[in-house]
Amino acid sequence: MDFTFSPEHVALRRMIREFAENEVAPIAAEIDREGRVPFETLKMMGEMGLLGVCFPQEYGGMDAGETGYCILMEELGRVCTSTATNVGAHIGIGAMSIYLDGTEEQKQKYLTPLARGEKIAAFVLTEADAGSDAAAIRTRAVREGDSWILDGTKTFNTNGSFAEIVTVLAVTDPTLGARGGITAFIVESDTPGFEVGTHENKMGIRGSSTAELIFDGMRVPHENVLGKVGEGFVSFMKTLDMGRLTLGAACLGGAQAALDWSIEWAKTRKQFGVELAHKQSVQWMIADMATEVEALRSLVYRVAWMVDTDQPFTQLAAMCKMYGSEVASRAIDTALQIHGGLGYTRDFPIERAFRDARIAEIFEGTNEIQRIVIASNIFRQHGVRIRP
Amino acid sequence: MRILVIMGRVLDPGGIAVNRRRGRIFVNREEYVMQPADRCALEAALRIKDGLQPRGAEVVALPRSVLPDDDVLRLAVATGADRAIHLTSEGTVEADDAGIAQVLAAAAERLGGADLVLTGATTLDTGQAQLGPRLAEALGWPQILSALHVEASDGHVAVILKQGKQYVTVEADLPAVVTVLPDALKPRYPDGVRLINVYKRIGELAAAVEQWDVADLVDVEALTPLLEKRGQDFPPERERGVRVTGAPREMAQALADALRQWAPS
Repeated sequence: MDFTFSPEHVALRRMIREFAENEVAPIAAEIDREGRVPFETLKMMGEMGLLGVCFPQEYGGMDAGETGYCILMEELGRVCTSTATNVGAHIGIGAMSIYLDGTEEQKQKYLTPLARGEKIAAFVLTEADAGSDAAAIRTRAVREGDSWILDGTKTFNTNGSFAEIVTVLAVTDPTLGARGGITAFIVESDTPGFEVGTHENKMGIRGSSTAELIFDGMRVPHENVLGKVGEGFVSFMKTLDMGRLTLGAACLGGAQAALDWSIEWAKTRKQFGVELAHKQSVQWMIADMATEVEALRSLVYRVAWMVDTDQPFTQLAAMCKMYGSEVASRAIDTALQIHGGLGYTRDFPIERAFRDARIAEIFEGTNEIQRIVIASNIFRQHGVRIRP
Repeated sequence: MRILVIMGRVLDPGGIAVNRRRGRIFVNREEYVMQPADRCALEAALRIKDGLQPRGAEVVALPRSVLPDDDVLRLAVATGADRAIHLTSEGTVEADDAGIAQVLAAAAERLGGADLVLTGATTLDTGQAQLGPRLAEALGWPQILSALHVEASDGHVAVILKQGKQYVTVEADLPAVVTVLPDALKPRYPDGVRLINVYKRIGELAAAVEQWDVADLVDVEALTPLLEKRGQDFPPERERGVRVTGAPREMAQALADALRQWAPS
């Protein structure tokens, strides 16, 4: 077993780290405070090819594999969760859905500008009454000649308020439900009938855009059906599987940052005549934190390797997301405790990290859903089919 | 136009700790980065190349010494250099900047000549500023040192540098050697696709980094170093900052003078 990263991945990480520290980190507090999306850094990332990191070069991507994508998410998650969220929604679920299920024409037309960073993607699924119960969506798509007319409202969408290319899940046959009644569509956001509704006022990841999208008699050509009519639900679930791993990678970055801050603080903060590093309670907190970070790191990059070598990864990807989000929350919470009162102020990045981290246990499939996915997979391997 | 950029590596300062009491430098994390001044030299070369589109220019990266690996050169190609030459050697090469200048001059000739050589004005670790001038001597070309800004086209180079409190423009006919100050320019990030391809050695960049044996370029035995390191010591501890005393008016004047002296250029 060779656990070393290949030379290109080492070089990629160095490049991304420098970019993250020089361009992303300095504005992280500002974009949180102002609640704005950092378009300028997204543009720079696009120019460097990072917004297509895992896609093949024939579609304008970098071909650095899922490992390269995890490295990108880890390094961004280390400095700014909002930026990691914007990028993750674009690459990991938006563009990814087209990569996994698009026809050759669709990939050339839509994936290529996304991979090159010329356009931004969004993945549109959730509705007011369909969160964890994704199959309960009601957005309707009705066939009319060689187009489909879409009507409905989507909520809590990341990037949807400014993305140019979005993939949307809609009901094409209300009698069939998830198996056969739901279809995915590629929609250009300047299509008449595509409207952006309210923007959510969030606890954290305030440097990302979470908005309502309203489709009102929106006409989408039939050639924009992604995958096959009636098979949209399955294809979206496949895309979400991929997204889970990389969210785990972003959580890894956040947890690592919390660990690094805690070590620095323990080295410098003195109480009772010595640095905190000499106090056992702090040592144990840091030891536990570091162990969880290492375990998460091993899990994330092993699953990245499994994806890159075409092995099944659904169960382990769900573990990455579930474990990663909880490790990050614990690490940041402990870091706050180690920093004490000062860590509670806005002068330190911990309170922002604390607010940012919490969403990871909720979006991209709540951790309860992840546990169901993991348990279902385990029991299926033992011959028992669980119904959620 | 062919532009050569001479680049070296240095230990990432973030990974080393200086222990004055024990008189040692501890390397906590052995990671190398491009010499910052050399990175600015590469950026200057790439800006000249960008300015000469569509005719373009060829930017070739060469190393500052016989490096143990070609990582810096690969990174140079990833950042935009068209090719790079990695110098290899069977045994160790005992050479200082004077010797390397001979090797690089021979390499330039083997490349079929060049119009402009750019390199960093100083090295971060040793504070050496020799390579540029020595290379200019070895090539028999004019040299312009410590550039802040470089422009070149068709047989001519114009450089802006600081002399005292003034900025001056110095011009020369090509070929010439120009050394660039660290922090002179904001260097660009590498291009992701080039990075992956040059490290994976695939596609157009599969052969972008060539390996040349030093022995093919010069007589390695004849490269006796001119410099001999006899020891090292730490500079005396400096008091940080400046103490001002006196009446408020005097203190204000002293403070203003100190600030003016330290003002970034």
